[in-house]
Amino acid sequence: MGYTRKLAIRNYIVEAILILSSLLIIIPVLIMIFGSFKTNAEVLSFSLKLPEKWMFSNYARVFEEGGIARAFLNSLWITGISSAINIVASSAASFILVRRETKLANTLYMFFFMGLIAPMSTITTIRVVQWLGFYGSIPSVILIYASLNTAFSVFLYSGFIKTIPKALDEVAFLEGASVFGVFFRIVTPLILPVNATVAIMVFMSVWNDITIPLYFLTDSSTWTMPLSIYNFYGKYSRDWNLIFANLVLTSLPVFILYLFGQKYIVSGLTAGAVKG
Amino acid sequence: MKTIKNLYSYYLVLPALLIYCIFFVIPAFAGFYYSFTDWRLDRLTIDFIGWENFTKIFHDKTLTLALKNTLIFAIATVVGKNLVGIVLAVALNMRLKTRNMLRAIFYSPSILSILVIGIVFTPMLRTEGTVNRLLDAVGLHALSQAWLTDPSIVIWTIAVISIWQHAGFQMAIYLAGLQSISQEYYEAATIDGAGSWKKFTKITLPLLLPAININLMLTLIGGLKVFSEVFVLTGGGPGNASQVVGTIILRSFGEGSWGLGTAINTLLFVAVTIIAIPLLIFMRRKEVTE
Repeated sequence: MGYTRKLAIRNYIVEAILILSSLLIIIPVLIMIFGSFKTNAEVLSFSLKLPEKWMFSNYARVFEEGGIARAFLNSLWITGISSAINIVASSAASFILVRRETKLANTLYMFFFMGLIAPMSTITTIRVVQWLGFYGSIPSVILIYASLNTAFSVFLYSGFIKTIPKALDEVAFLEGASVFGVFFRIVTPLILPVNATVAIMVFMSVWNDITIPLYFLTDSSTWTMPLSIYNFYGKYSRDWNLIFANLVLTSLPVFILYLFGQKYIVSGLTAGAVKG
Repeated sequence: MKTIKNLYSYYLVLPALLIYCIFFVIPAFAGFYYSFTDWRLDRLTIDFIGWENFTKIFHDKTLTLALKNTLIFAIATVVGKNLVGIVLAVALNMRLKTRNMLRAIFYSPSILSILVIGIVFTPMLRTEGTVNRLLDAVGLHALSQAWLTDPSIVIWTIAVISIWQHAGFQMAIYLAGLQSISQEYYEAATIDGAGSWKKFTKITLPLLLPAININLMLTLIGGLKVFSEVFVLTGGGPGNASQVVGTIILRSFGEGSWGLGTAINTLLFVAVTIIAIPLLIFMRRKEVTE
């Protein structure tokens, strides 16, 4: 009795401390959200007060003045297509590398894995893209993102495909299926949850990134959300209400994805933690 | 069965391999070559100049400061993210009523763009900003600082913001690790009369080793590659006080000193590889013995 009681008290203390510390995260986020509805004079106190009058018009103004609709679409294209390419290419590659179990397959796996570690060489990548003749374009950025995320995806897919019994594909092969048939009809349906994990993780990292657009998107008509907000921030640094509205808008898609995709994010993290 | 193995055609590896090679591997190798050249915007020819770029890196005051700042940032964030992450994970693995909500709150900053976080924190960290006003209000005026404009502390401020953002991500990995530890160990230890601290050091920490490994590696590599945090919060300033390798590369690119910028990138590449490969081999070996 004494022990369980002590345990209960300890839990209450821990919980109280945690709730207090969580304010460190909640307060800045609320300052941003409330600020996005304030007038440009009221917002300058950067305080936790509720807006005196909720200025929903801030959001309308952001769309009119910031070119945000275009940036939103650019971001959507870039993120969506690069995730799709990444998913198909990486899962197909992992499937073969896992099933082959040869020295070559193992070496290729390590070759991909190096991409998780090595930093990208930005300036020479620009050189390569220029040489291919599409520097500054959205397709170049899509392919760069697909390439940068290959290592992570191959790592996740390989871990999962190892757990699918080989007997399944052997039966299909004996019945005369091709390797494409086996991959698309047998393996792909089984790895759908991993596809969701990869899609969410890649989507979030690409959507939030500012580095690649900074180097590779030279024309403002191709800018993504973060880059166009960064420039808006430089130009309109007095209108903090509008800046905050922009920030809320760019965070919304990842936040929604997080709400509905938590399960898949956790399974991705677990793969890393348990396999180490 | 040998014939079946050959049915797994390498053609399916080709798309991933091509994209990966063209946009990542070839530029990396090209980087090694161009590091030893005087490749510049305003020159028509590219000449081989040996180690000149590298000696320049170690003799230029701004560049050595950038190397130092990168190291400070990496070490500070490795320690901070992992300590905070592990404490949060252990606490949120207890049976608390609000634990699911708290887990979600602590994880949430890591899904936001650093652009969002950087812009929200900038006005709050001004001399007369929210943070200093709060410190004044609780009687800690002595602690208030010019967080982003004092050259001697600015890199530390940026590191703390990065810890604020990502400790929750590390927490999630530690939580996954904790949940894979069987409760039986703890029950047996309780019967043997072990206290909480003893259980933590003798059971939790050793069995959490895979999660600790992956987290150390992720935070270290991420820390050395730091760019966006500094870019958004200070752009390398005040002056050059918070320059890191990542921002120097952008500056060299902007100035047209591409050979030099590539050399700095190569240096980062070598440093990250030298640190990460032994860790990786260690982890692979463990996987085999399991």
